[in-house]
Amino acid sequence: MEDRLIDNDLKATIRELADCYEELSLLYRLSSELSGNLSVEDICNRIVAEVTEQLEVKTAVVMLIEEGGQRLYTKSFKGSWNIMSIDRGGNIVWNAINEKKDIAVCDLMTTEFRDDFPGISSILICPLLGKKRPLGAIIAADKKSKEEFYSYDTKLIMAISTQAALLIENATLYEELEEFFIGSVKALVRALEANSSWTVGHSERVTDYATAIAEGMAEDSEFIERLRICCLLHDIGKIGIPVMILDKHGTLDENESRAVLQHPLNGARMLEGIRAFKDIVAGIRHHHERWDGNGIPHGLKGNDIPLMARIIAVADAFDAMLSDRPYRKKRTMQEAVEELRNSSGSQFDPQVVDTFIKTVIQFSLLHQGVSP
Amino acid sequence: MKKIMVIDDEPFILMMLEDKLTAAGYQVITRRDGTDAIEVVKKEQPDLIILDWMMPRISGIDVCKRLKEDIDTAYIPVFMLTAKGQAADERIGLQCGIARYITKPFSPKGLIAEIEEFFGRQVNR
Repeated sequence: MEDRLIDNDLKATIRELADCYEELSLLYRLSSELSGNLSVEDICNRIVAEVTEQLEVKTAVVMLIEEGGQRLYTKSFKGSWNIMSIDRGGNIVWNAINEKKDIAVCDLMTTEFRDDFPGISSILICPLLGKKRPLGAIIAADKKSKEEFYSYDTKLIMAISTQAALLIENATLYEELEEFFIGSVKALVRALEANSSWTVGHSERVTDYATAIAEGMAEDSEFIERLRICCLLHDIGKIGIPVMILDKHGTLDENESRAVLQHPLNGARMLEGIRAFKDIVAGIRHHHERWDGNGIPHGLKGNDIPLMARIIAVADAFDAMLSDRPYRKKRTMQEAVEELRNSSGSQFDPQVVDTFIKTVIQFSLLHQGVSP
Repeated sequence: MKKIMVIDDEPFILMMLEDKLTAAGYQVITRRDGTDAIEVVKKEQPDLIILDWMMPRISGIDVCKRLKEDIDTAYIPVFMLTAKGQAADERIGLQCGIARYITKPFSPKGLIAEIEEFFGRQVNR
């Protein structure tokens, strides 16, 4: 009799410990999987997947608070959920956020909130609390087993939400920082281009062409991100060149052309001290090199020229040919393609030219009803 | 009923897995170290062995190597449990003919799902 009681106690303890072990493994997994530079969206998708699996629910949702704090919107969900947003007010999700604690409602039909969540009978809500302000809430609804939510579920969802809130907050800050960075770079470039009406929008168009080439060459997203910044800034070295030279009709004299030819080196020098630009400086320095080794500033040849620079060279030349310049009229798309083809292997990397013609030009020519 | 043998020096892991695996419908044999494991495995002929990597006296890897060297036990699949999470370690484990590599702390629910999936695949083969 006594032995059986002890045995039962032991079994119960082991089960409780097993739950703790499950929770521990979840925390361990979350902290290793949710590390690195994940976007807010990636994090929310992971949370939804984890909640669905760990709590064995039919529906899991992450709702975040909009800027301004007046509305919650659905960022990610799995299962049956058709609520896209909830205005601040007398709603159970907002209550959980305002009271900063989890709320479990096991029979929605008997509560005042029954109309708020059509088709859902039991719900567990856990707020996502940032360091300074609430960020949103995690919602789990209807267990697959049709059981109620127990304190173990609450413990799991809280473990997830504590980790998730921290990560979402960090990712949001990171995204804001990145937006600020790109925004500042663009503002700088627009200021440069505003000097000369001929070049307005040039750097952003080069960015689009170069991105398409890199995607066509199946480069990874990190490379593409660096390439985009490099494209935006590729002509930054022109900042010191007087507008009268840049906009001059007719040929440049020796001093003037030296000033223009200096711009890749000047640009690289301007940025080389900045850590955020360390991977793009070479792209700027060498975007006027030629595949055959006759370019500037260093006369690099073939694959010695950084890929970033080889891609920009093609994108840059193409956009220049399609724009009017003070010293010449713009060319047609077909003339520009012809020119790229003719200079492939001499001025440009043939692989880059091929990819560009395949991915970008064919697409736009087909849209114009012309065959390339 | 499939028979699973668990070898781990942590009593809690043994008790927990015994409880969970029994509840999931398996017959479970447990051992706290690997010294007499080969004899027990030969006698019991389990369908699967769950083996801890880091144990006193004889490591899980050595137990596994011995099992794989013996014609009577080489065919039995082994899941290796370990706190080591490095990819290099995983390679050593896979070289020794380990079917699955499970990092501690593992999810008990996840492990059972993995075992079921593993047996399911074996049947379908």
